[in-house]
Amino acid sequence: MAQYNISVNGEQHQVDAPPDTPMLWVLRDRLGLTGTKYGCGIAACGACAILLDGAEERSCQLPISEVGSKKIVTIEGLTRDGSHPAQRAWMENDVPQCGYCQPGQVIATAALLNKSPKPTDAEIDQVFETHICRCGTYHRIREAVKQAAKETS
Amino acid sequence: MSLAPSRTASPVTRRTVLKVIGGVGAGLMLGCFADAGRITAGEGSKAALAPNAIVRIDPNGDVIVTVMRSDMGQGVRTSFAMLVAEELDADWNKVKVLQAPADEEKYGSQQTGGSSSITSHNRDLRRAGAVARALLVGAAAKTWGVDPSSCTTDAGVVKHASSGKSLSYGELAGTAATLPIPTEEPKLKDKSEFKLIGKPTNRVDNHDVVTGKAIYGMDVPVEGVVHAVVARPPTIGGSLKSFDDKAARQVPGVIDVVKIGSGVAVVGLDTWAALKGRDALVIDWDRGPNIGVSSATLHEAMVKEVRSHDAAPAGAKVVAATLEFPFLAHASMEPMNAVADVRPDSCTVWVPTQNPSGAKEAAVDASGLPEDKVTVNVTLLGGGFGGRHKADFVSDAVEISKAVKKPVKLQWSREDDMRNDDYRPASHHSFQGAVDSSGNPVAWSHQVVFARGRGGRGYRDAGIMYAIPNAKLAEMGTDSPVRTGPWRSVDHTQVDVANECFIDELASAAGQDPLEFRQKHLRDERVKKVLNAAAQKAGWGTPLPAGHGRGVACFSAYGSCSAYVMEASVEGDKFKLHRVVGVIDVGTAVNPRGVQAQMEGGCVDGLSTALKAEITVDKGAIVQSNWGEYDWLRLNEMPELEIYVMDSGGPFGGMGEVGYPPSPAALANAVFAATGKRVRMFPIKVSELA
Repeated sequence: MAQYNISVNGEQHQVDAPPDTPMLWVLRDRLGLTGTKYGCGIAACGACAILLDGAEERSCQLPISEVGSKKIVTIEGLTRDGSHPAQRAWMENDVPQCGYCQPGQVIATAALLNKSPKPTDAEIDQVFETHICRCGTYHRIREAVKQAAKETS
Repeated sequence: MSLAPSRTASPVTRRTVLKVIGGVGAGLMLGCFADAGRITAGEGSKAALAPNAIVRIDPNGDVIVTVMRSDMGQGVRTSFAMLVAEELDADWNKVKVLQAPADEEKYGSQQTGGSSSITSHNRDLRRAGAVARALLVGAAAKTWGVDPSSCTTDAGVVKHASSGKSLSYGELAGTAATLPIPTEEPKLKDKSEFKLIGKPTNRVDNHDVVTGKAIYGMDVPVEGVVHAVVARPPTIGGSLKSFDDKAARQVPGVIDVVKIGSGVAVVGLDTWAALKGRDALVIDWDRGPNIGVSSATLHEAMVKEVRSHDAAPAGAKVVAATLEFPFLAHASMEPMNAVADVRPDSCTVWVPTQNPSGAKEAAVDASGLPEDKVTVNVTLLGGGFGGRHKADFVSDAVEISKAVKKPVKLQWSREDDMRNDDYRPASHHSFQGAVDSSGNPVAWSHQVVFARGRGGRGYRDAGIMYAIPNAKLAEMGTDSPVRTGPWRSVDHTQVDVANECFIDELASAAGQDPLEFRQKHLRDERVKKVLNAAAQKAGWGTPLPAGHGRGVACFSAYGSCSAYVMEASVEGDKFKLHRVVGVIDVGTAVNPRGVQAQMEGGCVDGLSTALKAEITVDKGAIVQSNWGEYDWLRLNEMPELEIYVMDSGGPFGGMGEVGYPPSPAALANAVFAATGKRVRMFPIKVSELA
């Protein structure tokens, strides 16, 4: 076990954990931030996506020892009230079905818009080809990403 | 679920009243018409109105609807609330949804599957809302000293037009709670009066989902919970010989290691500790009796079951074909899990399940406690698709909690989930059909062999949508140790997909357009309309770019019909999807937006399983264990997708499964149109086209 001081959603947290503990389980089991989901454990589905200094990161592959002073934002911290353009677009387009993968999809959208405020279809494809939605909400996701981009710019 | 005979018990307890009502055919035991089950949360106007198990109106005006079916993404929490709110004339913005715990005596069947939620519950949900509305109107009429028939309701308010008076439902709840519940059958609205039913409505959980507040099984916060994973036999039918847990117990954060029915459980401070502890176990498995079983041996066994088809009518042109379908895993995004807190005198479970009563039975068995000491709470489900009918993960969680005397969150890894599923069975299909010299179909014989154990229903009516003389379906099974279960649309995922592929072959043999051939021989006008609409929206018959093909397929079951027209081409060794047009008719759609979403989802499932997903068996073990090996369609592979919800105005039909079957078939038929080659095997591979 080792002591880590990490920044999550604007707050500092002291966590005592083995260095290889993935942030996914730190967030979920230690900090009670269960909005970040477990889907595969091998970075293949995107359900566990978080923002690390504003970029998308798979928390199942991010050991706590590698976080350092980088700032983590989870779905709970994106906004408290669901007012991020991606969150609003998701609700308006009624994207979720079971909803389980959607926090990861929303986080991926936030990261994409940070990098590219007006993403092309090719950029959207590139981000979301590594995210699975088992309910098949893909074309609503594309619509929602575009709407969120419109509202951001 | 026991139904008591129709009798009046005295004194009348809530339970007996519910049973009596159930016994006289109310279906869902609401207790709508009994002065029982009323919750009075305070005095006078401060009380809540709760005339039945489904709806409660709080003094602040909140309308609480209890939903007894599980929501795995099909939107039942939204559509059920709409059905109640419609007859209640509630303000939709004031409607909140509560998930019912497992209690079939109170709620009727909670098994969520077979696209049955709306078809089996719509009437009782509407009655529950209508009874509450009648009580609120009665309360207003009493308050104002007017005739109830002179009052109207709208958006959570009772109004009296001639005096201009109005009172909100919240203000009336307390008085309404003191009134006797009407004994006559409540009058339900005519379709023309619907304000909510038929209105495209966003789902009630969206805000919680996009802010991370939605609670699925693995998110349930329980004080002092520990985390567990289980090492299970790697082969089908394998068992535990012995294990050494010394190294596992040394892993930081590991609390305990316990042997349970399904294997060896490792309990940790967090899931990571449990996973690492499991990796450190040294286990000697007995690989069991099935190590000689593989997909190839199962295929061989299925083929052996096929008999010769009856001779086709003399002079007719005979067409024969075979089709193969693989095992499929459910692979919900949320792997199986359950939380259990077993105490000496109680057992509480939180579980994402499609089968609350099955989960409860498992918890009763595993805890050894009587049924009335066991509570099963149902969470949101991160997908289901039929895979959450089973309850072995509930048994796991309860056994472990009982052993370690702590609340336990049991987590199946993705690998556990993919390798310990109840799979959609593999199947082998043998067809023989014939067309006469005028191009009319004159024979149809379909033999299907499922890899799910011996037995089956033998020869029966073909169950096809087309008028074909001498049409027969023979259903058979072969020995297979692979556990199987319902998978979205169940046998329709094979039988109806195969049928829609083979009808295309008959059309080709007749030298006819596959759409016209279907239109000519479909028996049901409703399916024909859906098919025609899809063809028209897709521009059937209009020119396509070179190398592109258009395919069509339709489907009818669960009280609904669906059709797709798909456009595809081959690029190298891959298929490219260009455009999908789908039409769905559920009779009357409660929530057309939800129906559309289910059609979209069913379509994507169809495409994913037509092109990518397949579970295989080798040396008695499931080969695939995670995404990538068992893959689903991704956003970048999506075609243009247009879904149209057609309102035929008929009774409320089912939806969850209706979008699937015509999807793989329309794609297979598009592949034929593009390549001239028939699909003989799913998932479809360019290299395997016949």
